[in-house]
Amino acid sequence: MSTAIVDHEVVSAAKWTEARKELLKKEKELTRQREEVSRLRRELPWEKIDKNYIFDGPRGKESLSELFGANSQLIVYHFMFGPEWSEGCPFCSFLADGIDAAEIHLKNHDVTLLAVSRAPYAKIAAFKERMGWKFKWVSSSGSDFNFDYGVSFQKPGHNGSDEHARAEERIEYNYSTMPFFSEEMPGTSVFYKNPDGEIFHTYSSYARGGEAQLIAYSYLDLTPKGRNETGARRDLTEWVKHHDKYEEPAAHTCCGGQ
Amino acid sequence: MQNAVVSRSEWLNSRKAFLAKEKELTRRKDALNKERLSLPWVKVEKEYVFEGPEGSRTLGELFGAKDQLLIYHFMFGPEWEQGCQSCSMAADTINGNLAHLNARDIALAVISRAPLPKIEAFRKRMGWSFPWLSSFANDFNSDFGVYFTPEQRGGSGYYNFGTGQHPSEEAPGISAFYRNKGTGDVFHTYSSYARGVEGLLGVYSLIDLTPNGRNEGALAYPMAWVRHHDRYQTA
Repeated sequence: MSTAIVDHEVVSAAKWTEARKELLKKEKELTRQREEVSRLRRELPWEKIDKNYIFDGPRGKESLSELFGANSQLIVYHFMFGPEWSEGCPFCSFLADGIDAAEIHLKNHDVTLLAVSRAPYAKIAAFKERMGWKFKWVSSSGSDFNFDYGVSFQKPGHNGSDEHARAEERIEYNYSTMPFFSEEMPGTSVFYKNPDGEIFHTYSSYARGGEAQLIAYSYLDLTPKGRNETGARRDLTEWVKHHDKYEEPAAHTCCGGQ
Repeated sequence: MQNAVVSRSEWLNSRKAFLAKEKELTRRKDALNKERLSLPWVKVEKEYVFEGPEGSRTLGELFGAKDQLLIYHFMFGPEWEQGCQSCSMAADTINGNLAHLNARDIALAVISRAPLPKIEAFRKRMGWSFPWLSSFANDFNSDFGVYFTPEQRGGSGYYNFGTGQHPSEEAPGISAFYRNKGTGDVFHTYSSYARGVEGLLGVYSLIDLTPNGRNEGALAYPMAWVRHHDRYQTA
């Protein structure tokens, strides 16, 4: 699994610092660009939500408005966990491994963060316990929520179309169209509740739009091997597992490994 | 606070236009990540020994069986009663991500100058189990630019690849190392400081998606709202 890096350029501290400073300029430019993108995001228009969505969770039935709790801002992580699935998606789980750490700080900064899936709540509760997570996670089973926010899809042929038509069917995802891939797809949606109790949809992102929430990637990007995703798909699906499913060999603590 | 409220189709038009800017940012980040990988390395010649709960460990030993090591430079001075709040917010994410980093051939350790008993007491209070060792007896923090003497704090302290005044004797950062398993040689590959570690705070990635954003303009300093996770009123 691990491949040694051979013949990497080794230099003096002074030369390294020179190269590092050049990179730092570009890192700072990226930070500025990120700030500008965040500013533009806050200027996006909103859409008012008039539909009454009901979710099933640890407190029984709750409306979208109730999910805000005491905060005016709500972030929903659309966790891929279909009604028939026996467990939640491993890649969403990878992201979810960072939620508890963020949630406690966010809820003290006027932001409620929680997860929503289409699986029935009993399945969600059992999986959440297995994974050792504390964050709130509710079921949108029986509501249009996942379909309206572009993260759940009917299987091709659900409307009785023939095989040829099925192969041609496309879904709308991430503000574009693509071939059907899965009944569930990942995303993040943000909502605002004003003092009058009106709710607005302010933002949704999908696909790599959620990547900044993968804190492990922020660490990986700083290592000598980087993301090191060399398989056919060149993404995390080639290595990420549920955190309780990695099979670590017996630990060698001695210097120099084997 | 009230932005323009529009129809579904208008909302989608604005959102699609903005998506193009988000994608540009992602591509630029990809390019920068690639460039980072081609940075040269520096061989670490000094022998650093850290104090941890299981005894003394050299820098090489912190790799365990891995080729790569990340060190989070956690601000916790020898005289301090507790570790820094903002570093604690970053550290809150470590336990959840450790299994994934380990699976990618990466060992991670947190290093502070505070003596080990102080680190251990604080680590227990915060409920963290990641490796956290003390550099109290060595020059590690000074050599990797996250500790300043009182004189250096006045203006000659070198931090984030420049000199300046420093509000504290300790500063945050992250350093990356590579070990050649055959020879045991350890190389310093990368360090990042100040806002360079912002990506490790998952909190900001989420806050940046909200209508209010970071909303820190009226505060004494940007992270003034952050508390230790057991010190919020609602915790």
